[in-house]
Amino acid sequence: MVPQLSWYLALSAILFTIGVAGVIIKRNVIAMFMCVELMLNAVNLTFVAFSSFFHDVTGQLFVFIVMTVAAAEAAVGLGIIIAIFRNRETLDVDEASILKL
Amino acid sequence: MLVLLFILFAGLAIGCAIAVVAQRNPLYCAISLIGVFISLACLYVMLAAPFIAAVQVVVYAGAIMVLVVFVIMLLNVEQEERRRSRLGFLVPVAVVLAAILIAEATFIIWFVDRSPVRPLSSVSDTGLTSSIGSALFTKYLLPFEITSILLLMAIVGAMTLARRIKEIPPGAAVVPGAQVLPLHMFDPTIALDDTRAVEAHGSDEVAEVMGVPDDHDPTKRD
Amino acid sequence: MDWATILDIGLKFVAITIAFTVVLLIVAYTVLAERRVLAFIQGRLGPNRVGYGGMLQPFADLLKFILKEDIVPDKSTRFIYFLAPVIATMAALMTMIVYPFGPETYIPLIGTIPLSIARFDVALLYVLGVTSVGVYGIMLAGWSSNNKYSLMGGLRSSAQMISYELALGLSLIGVILLAGTLDLQKIVETQSAWHGFRWFIFLHPLGFIVYLIAAIAETNRVPFDLPEAETELVAGFHTEYSAMKFALFFLAEYINMFTVSMLATTLFLGGWNVPFAEDLFGRGTFLFGLVGVIGFLLKVIFFLFLYIWLRGTLPRFRFDQLMNFGWKFLLPVALFSIFLTATLMMFFM
Repeated sequence: MVPQLSWYLALSAILFTIGVAGVIIKRNVIAMFMCVELMLNAVNLTFVAFSSFFHDVTGQLFVFIVMTVAAAEAAVGLGIIIAIFRNRETLDVDEASILKL
Repeated sequence: MLVLLFILFAGLAIGCAIAVVAQRNPLYCAISLIGVFISLACLYVMLAAPFIAAVQVVVYAGAIMVLVVFVIMLLNVEQEERRRSRLGFLVPVAVVLAAILIAEATFIIWFVDRSPVRPLSSVSDTGLTSSIGSALFTKYLLPFEITSILLLMAIVGAMTLARRIKEIPPGAAVVPGAQVLPLHMFDPTIALDDTRAVEAHGSDEVAEVMGVPDDHDPTKRD
Repeated sequence: MDWATILDIGLKFVAITIAFTVVLLIVAYTVLAERRVLAFIQGRLGPNRVGYGGMLQPFADLLKFILKEDIVPDKSTRFIYFLAPVIATMAALMTMIVYPFGPETYIPLIGTIPLSIARFDVALLYVLGVTSVGVYGIMLAGWSSNNKYSLMGGLRSSAQMISYELALGLSLIGVILLAGTLDLQKIVETQSAWHGFRWFIFLHPLGFIVYLIAAIAETNRVPFDLPEAETELVAGFHTEYSAMKFALFFLAEYINMFTVSMLATTLFLGGWNVPFAEDLFGRGTFLFGLVGVIGFLLKVIFFLFLYIWLRGTLPRFRFDQLMNFGWKFLLPVALFSIFLTATLMMFFM
């Protein structure tokens, strides 16, 4: 008995769900960013699983591009977080509400 | 055997993912996320994709998370405090809806899709570096080039965001490692927030330049 | 799970045990060799009392480390404090499994086996990945000690390591171009021709120099050891560690040195290739394998001696000079070396 494709897809769905729950629950903006990375990785797992089971290299190439985009997003996102922190002294997203009426 | 390995790595991934969400200290979240990345890399190796596994460790666990941990350490992020949410009455509704969703997903995965999927053979050619490389430079050249421009944009953007603009008085030289000492240390009559600059080549010369007796150096006591 | 798989796994365990024992012994004697050679460079003798010429000194040191009191700072984050030396040592040891110590040899009772623990397609990228993970040990050690000198030392050390990882990776691209593969055993086999003149140090010399400088910076050795020098930030990130945990950091640093020397030998000096051994002994025989392993070890010992020699001779860089050098000089030179090698390859091959 070998692991089936559906097992990998189920694992990916579980990880994605945990990531979404994290983005909703967490109040620290760096922790929210980490849950977004978790979601991206769940999607990567789906791509690699399909690429292996259907012997097509396109999936792995897409994962490559997704990783590059995630790295670029990490750099810019953390720069924004540092800039926000310098102005407000807090990383709580519930406090970032000065545009509220 | 492969099933055991899959259960091990999948359990590790799910455990670390739940730890990412449940931990309140952001540094522990970061370490759990590194655990998720490494267990996913092991799963990629099981899926006959060794290049993607190695790149995952190098890029995600070795570079992105190093950046995140640096930011956490430099900003000295504290633990989140627990706050009672005002919507606590919705928890039973959430549990019921989640149970329905899990039942639907299990039904789909176990009963509906029974089409014959070709089994995974671990001697496939698609995971090797050469096949990824040849596809990347022939068929998928355009995404590759656009990604490199995207990375250039990210570098420029990150440098612009993190730049500190502080006014340096004209004519001042910036010496790395130069010591900044309060003048109050040398002349107690000067107020604590007086930030006049005194140029000297070392803290023992500052007293000389300012014309006050130097009490700090025991060898100069005369 | 049939018997062939179980026998295979058993053989791998035996190979790992032998390799780790040899590595730890060599590292222990490297510490002793460093103290003696440094002493000779500085005009004194070094430890020579314990055993003949100081040969039992590593065991005396080990006994001291085991018996010392283990002090844990009060306000430190305990889990991370205990985790950091484990990460550092594990990352240092995990790279050991991909190096080819010798060619395929015939060992009398077992058969023809390749003298390396594991062989896979992306070995070089695996080594780079595992050394990237080793940075965490230092960062977490600096943070969890709850000491401002440790934090500054840890941040500086890890900033230096991640900066020089780039130059390291780029200098290896020239080698990958010349060999056409990421597999370390194939890279060594590609260097077998021309009686030693096909070693990549002759074909890609600029890359070798860049690699050496980047490797010395990666392992936090002189002249790049500002973050952990004794006269600077107390002792840097391992200030608050005592007894066995400090021994683990110490061990991790020397194993990193050893790993980097083995990588340099494999990629640039031809690994187990000894210039005329193939004509004298013939491929696949036991003597050829033995000569290969001895040649490999001698080359690695030469690199370790080079490390110790540099420590005794050079002053250290200031931290901003170090970062300037890594980003503004070494990275462009590494890029230029790739272009140079690729252009020369286009014309001559």
